Amino acid sequence: MKIGKNEFKLEKRTSLSGWQATSIAVLAVLMTLFLFGFIFLQAGISPGMAYREIFSYAFANKHGLPLTLNRFIFLLFTTYAFILPARAGLWNIGMTGQMYAGALSAFAVLYAFGAQQSKSLELSAGLVIPLMVLASMLGGLVIGAIAGYFKGKFDTNEIVLTMMLNFILFWLVSFMIKEGGLFMNPGGRGESFELPPSVYAPLIGGVPFTGLVAVLIGFALEFLFDRTQLGYQIKAFGKSPRAARYAGIDTFKIPFMVFLLGGAIAGLAGYHYFAAVPGVYKIARNYGQFGDLAFYGIICGLISQSNPLASMPVALLFGGLSIGGRFVQGKLHMAFGVDYALLGVLMITLVAFQFFYRYRIVRVSLDEEDGHA
Amino acid sequence: MTQEEKSQPVLSARGITKRFPGVVANDGIDFDIRPGEIHAILGENGAGKTTLMNILFGLYQPDEGEIYIHGEKVEFKSPLDAIEHGIGMVHQHRKLVEAHTVLENIVLGHPHAGTILNLRRAEQEVRKLCEEYGFKVDFRAKVWQLSEGEKQMVEILKALYRGAKILILDEPTSALTPVETRLLLDSVQAMAKKDLAIVPFITHKLPIVLEISDRVTVLRKGKVVARLETRHATEKSLAREMVGRDVLFRVERQEVEPGKPVLEVEDLVVQSDKGFLAVEGVSFTIREGEIFGLAGVSGNGQQELVEALAGLRKPVSGRIVLDGVDVTHLPPLERWKTGLGYIPADRIHMGSIGDFTLVENVLLNYYFDQEYNRGGILDYRKARQMTEQLIEEFNVATPGPDVLGRNLSGGNLQKVILARVLSRRPRLVIADLPSQGLDVGATEFVRNKLVEAKVNGAAVLLISEDLDEILDISDWVAPIYEGRFMGIVPAAEAEREKIGVMMAGYNAEGVAQ
Repeated sequence: MKIGKNEFKLEKRTSLSGWQATSIAVLAVLMTLFLFGFIFLQAGISPGMAYREIFSYAFANKHGLPLTLNRFIFLLFTTYAFILPARAGLWNIGMTGQMYAGALSAFAVLYAFGAQQSKSLELSAGLVIPLMVLASMLGGLVIGAIAGYFKGKFDTNEIVLTMMLNFILFWLVSFMIKEGGLFMNPGGRGESFELPPSVYAPLIGGVPFTGLVAVLIGFALEFLFDRTQLGYQIKAFGKSPRAARYAGIDTFKIPFMVFLLGGAIAGLAGYHYFAAVPGVYKIARNYGQFGDLAFYGIICGLISQSNPLASMPVALLFGGLSIGGRFVQGKLHMAFGVDYALLGVLMITLVAFQFFYRYRIVRVSLDEEDGHA
Repeated sequence: MTQEEKSQPVLSARGITKRFPGVVANDGIDFDIRPGEIHAILGENGAGKTTLMNILFGLYQPDEGEIYIHGEKVEFKSPLDAIEHGIGMVHQHRKLVEAHTVLENIVLGHPHAGTILNLRRAEQEVRKLCEEYGFKVDFRAKVWQLSEGEKQMVEILKALYRGAKILILDEPTSALTPVETRLLLDSVQAMAKKDLAIVPFITHKLPIVLEISDRVTVLRKGKVVARLETRHATEKSLAREMVGRDVLFRVERQEVEPGKPVLEVEDLVVQSDKGFLAVEGVSFTIREGEIFGLAGVSGNGQQELVEALAGLRKPVSGRIVLDGVDVTHLPPLERWKTGLGYIPADRIHMGSIGDFTLVENVLLNYYFDQEYNRGGILDYRKARQMTEQLIEEFNVATPGPDVLGRNLSGGNLQKVILARVLSRRPRLVIADLPSQGLDVGATEFVRNKLVEAKVNGAAVLLISEDLDEILDISDWVAPIYEGRFMGIVPAAEAEREKIGVMMAGYNAEGVAQ
């Protein structure tokens, strides 16, 4: 392409530093806000005002911020569930199902303690909460392990398998919480029984302790990939299964392990949203929406290039935009779902900007070209 | 100059320059090809041969410079333009449809072929060509049934049928047995007599250059460094021009007293991916201080045998004993720990990871090692130190240990793999096509390192298609043909011709098996 005395060419990148990747992602976010501005304009709303509302509610409002943080934590867990297999070159599309399995398992612990009978049951938090957390991880782990086992043993397509498990788990939740289900709310209403207040998850500065867990897991994963033997094997398998096999890396163990661990972390997302977020404390009838939200873990993972630390700001942004978008939609009486529309545009832009991870635009001055032509 | 006046060149290149980001692959290359001459282009890997060839065939466009055919300036926008101007190319890697017959392959893509095939007419035309140049090939055979040499003949015929007057052969002898090489050289000479110009591009097969070519153009680092009549050249002088320094041709053989057996293979039977038996019951022993050379043309079971030894393929039956331990059913990692050192043939996809740094690539053979793995935590600092040391010891040309594997040239990558494997001091070294595609300097280096490993008491299994390599350094030579050893010959009794015949499926007495 020629503009004035310059010619612009695309050139394949030979390397991409973390700093470059970050600036590309930031540019993509700015581009999204710019593009979405036209949607606000078209609806007769000033984009500047709309964005001020979105960001101030999501990140600076005492009602909005906790909501943002809770979504952030949820997204972070599902992002990790994507990243672990992604580093081994495998696609986990099953964080939704693994998350549901985690939620069901946590409620199974409550059920075992008889919490379905009475909301005011006094349970020992020190015993029941750790059990619920462990159970949620175990639930996600089992569902993840199914995909990992078949991948490692028979090399089945993990995308298809994890996707199908999502449907099974979605209907299993429905079966458990709707009329006649074991976890049915005594008052019906198509949702699960409520958590007794005695086992509400402890809050740290107004945020469930799961937030701390999520951040710690991020650092643990970074350590896993950077320093450990298992992390090295995962990366080697992800970059070249043939070379990994040559080097004696167990080609069953690696796929199995990453899905198992990824599933366990996705299970935590289920515990977090349905048993730790203030104001929820049950598997709500609109649980399907959280299943959809869980898929954003894929996008966060892709954008952060499967880097667990980089995924934190990305998940925070996604959480904030979805909460702020929701708020502005109600406040400004907009006729469409701003939250998911905004996430959608952001997603498309970020994916389009992935192009710049592989190519860069270089400027060639035509004067020079003339010089030796 | 008088000679040039006598016969006007059919093809001239003037000042061909091609730049890629960071390198000038071709830098002002001039040369002429005359009718009826065999004009060899010689150069190491990375000298710019491939780029030049691709420019001549219209796959790349030069940044600068011109090409003239019969004195007329031409511009090739695609291979189709080149073909129309009478240039035919025979690639190093076959580009034939395996499931089709020879004739169908020859006709494919020919303007006459049109929408409705007239195979009868095509057959007559091709047959005439065969008679003219003395090719013998069964038109109705399927390509997959042919040997490498026959496939190459089909490719040459295909180019001739499309009217090629200038035939470009890319490393034409690289996959052929000695017998097939002989046949090829004869037909190349026959073709040259018919005023076809032939341009073989060759890496390091200097004897072939000397035998068949009329003139040689030597490339080094993208430039023409020598242009000479072959009769004035010697193996030494060509090698010096090509590498830029004197090269020893013979690796110093070193005799050591063989020690106790390291690898014992009994009646090993291995299946191929396609389901037939690729290795049909081989037995052999390699002792400490021995190099066992497996000679054969690719696809005769070498790959499956090596994979079975390395634990990557389950044998159907038989026994593999490594350093006294029956490893037949052990996974690869256990074999590495028992003393296996394996240098795979596919250094890019199997032997290394392009997106890994050199440190991480070295760790491929060390991540399980006690010294580098404390309770599941890898000691990257120590691995980095070792990588630096190996880079120095093995003369790897690289800016440092944090460079990605894919940024290394083939020769340097192979040095890293060799360094990593040999530094473990393995009891058994499996070197699968260790010098394939390497230039003279790197080849010499690799062979010397294998000899060094043997002197240090390792047992070495060397798999090679290059008979000279096998004969140069092996203590035992086992020609393999269709999954069977045609014999196991001590190096002292291994004559080139005899082994060549055995590689083609005859036993030591010359009886077809």
